[in-house]
Amino acid sequence: MGAGMRACWRSFLRDCADCFNPCNPRHPIVRLELQRIRRKRWWPGRRLFLFYPVLLGAALGCGLVAALGELAGGLPGDWDLLDPVGSQVAALVAGVPSVCLVNVLAWLLAFILPWMAPALTAPAIARERELGTLDLLRVTLLSERSIVLGKLGACLLRLWPGLLTLALLAPFQLVWVAGAGLTTVSDPMALLEAHELNLEWSWMGLLAASSLIGLVRPWGDLAFHAAIGLFASAVARSSGVAVAAAYAVAIAARMFLWLGRTLFSTMGTLLWFDTSLSNSVTGLPGLGLGIPVLLSAGTLLVDVIGAAVLIWAATWWLKRT
Amino acid sequence: MATIIEMQGLTKCYGKLTAVAGLDLAVEAGAGFGFVGPNGAGKTTTMRILATLLRPTAGEAWVAGHSVVKERRDVRRAIGYMPDFFGVYGDMKVWEYLDFFAACYGIDAETRCRLVDDLLELVDLSHRREDYVDALSRGMKQRLCLGRALAHDPQVLILDEPASGLDPRARIEIRELLRELQSMGKTIFVSSHILSEIEEVCTHIGIVEAGQLVATGTLEEMRRRIQTQRLVRVGLVGRIAEAQAWLAGRTDVVAVEPVVGNGEGDLQINFAGDDEALARLLADLAGAGFQVLMFHEDTGDLEDVFMRLTKGIVS
Repeated sequence: MGAGMRACWRSFLRDCADCFNPCNPRHPIVRLELQRIRRKRWWPGRRLFLFYPVLLGAALGCGLVAALGELAGGLPGDWDLLDPVGSQVAALVAGVPSVCLVNVLAWLLAFILPWMAPALTAPAIARERELGTLDLLRVTLLSERSIVLGKLGACLLRLWPGLLTLALLAPFQLVWVAGAGLTTVSDPMALLEAHELNLEWSWMGLLAASSLIGLVRPWGDLAFHAAIGLFASAVARSSGVAVAAAYAVAIAARMFLWLGRTLFSTMGTLLWFDTSLSNSVTGLPGLGLGIPVLLSAGTLLVDVIGAAVLIWAATWWLKRT
Repeated sequence: MATIIEMQGLTKCYGKLTAVAGLDLAVEAGAGFGFVGPNGAGKTTTMRILATLLRPTAGEAWVAGHSVVKERRDVRRAIGYMPDFFGVYGDMKVWEYLDFFAACYGIDAETRCRLVDDLLELVDLSHRREDYVDALSRGMKQRLCLGRALAHDPQVLILDEPASGLDPRARIEIRELLRELQSMGKTIFVSSHILSEIEEVCTHIGIVEAGQLVATGTLEEMRRRIQTQRLVRVGLVGRIAEAQAWLAGRTDVVAVEPVVGNGEGDLQINFAGDDEALARLLADLAGAGFQVLMFHEDTGDLEDVFMRLTKGIVS
């Protein structure tokens, strides 16, 4: 890697740090948005630092109780550790009914927030162009990439209550996965079968992987949709067109991904695996779960790569003119 | 003096339309360069290229020794740009507006505090510091935008029609401000079709039409260019048609026509001759029994230079 390349990366990382540090963003565009938010509403600012450990502590506490509950269900060793009854009881005690609420809320947010993003990012640059303020920004020392990232940061900042809630719910969801999730997410019988085949650990590993990916995926969706909005914003002449185009593209992309996933999982199951472990075609029972995990990870990958490409494209477009 | 803005064969085409056609121009450091031309002559396009907001189709331009195509960042550091139409973030306070742009120029927070006060004082908006930008008048917004362009202490100011749409007082205020900046040693590249404004701020003038430079030179040179023929205005009490015929009969009078519009009833004479001949004309006019109310020469201001130099190309 040459020195120029390194400098380029360093400036990129600095831009990212300036834009996406929620406690003290240093990017002028993000700070401007922060000023607006502060003028109208409440903003936690550095108090975030206090909030988060408290909530994280609560979540970890729940996890601990859950683990203890599992231990109470039976001693470690063979099967007892995974006693579904034990973990359920633990989840009941630890997660309390709030666990259910947490999950519903998290699911809702994970769906709504990514679909709100284009509405915020699509007008971001196009609106400045309409107002005639874009040229004023472009002649400053902010690079085009910095403007695009700053706009992204500013738009995410406007979603802060939702994003913050989603982020804070993640640890609770982990507890859910560790406890009740094990038994409810999937078929308990599958676990039994996996145990008989001595594959319970790989089965659980896949389950944990899928849950973790599930936690990260809303953020990937969010980044992808926001980037679609930004690109539309950089290209479109008016903000109305930008919003319409961004939603059209986002919906098309989602449908395309969903179609691909359905196709792949159907074909994959038919060709290679059987989700039901005992009817394994390939002799790789338990890995049937691998397909959804793989697809989930694939979608996440498409989201992230798509977002990066679109942000780059938006920057390029701004530079081009 | 060193050249600070240079253009060589600068060309910009939008599809089939050529907005700027091979512009060659050099501006010296510290000069006030007036870029004059009718609407659609390519002034804004040229300025946008200089401000690194547009890429030229062909040719090159350098500002402070940096190419506007290849070294955009260096050029941006050297220029303060004010577009002809610009928006402001109305929901910001005046000081926040300047603070925001200063931050965009990478100026750190402590320096910004002092800088914003200095800038507000310079553009005479200190008393509106805490007001929202939306509450400012157009002239004030224009001054604020100029203050914004000065945030990073640029060597060159590129101002696109800074006085358009302003009332006379606001126009004078902008003009005073530009003079002050000039005395601070900044090079000012200003476009306008309001020539009286250019006249007082500029040391050099370039007249552009249809994307081409028609004439360029110092203010004095441009004035001298049109002094071969003089415009004389004559006001009479009655007998206008008679006087017109009498004047048309003289050899040193190229043309006589009645003034239309403002000053109706006067005659405008296109006179070829020196001061002595002009004095003789007045004496003869009085001698012929005409009652002369007014007899004065229009000292070819830039408006005329402009009109004469651009007329040919349009027709």
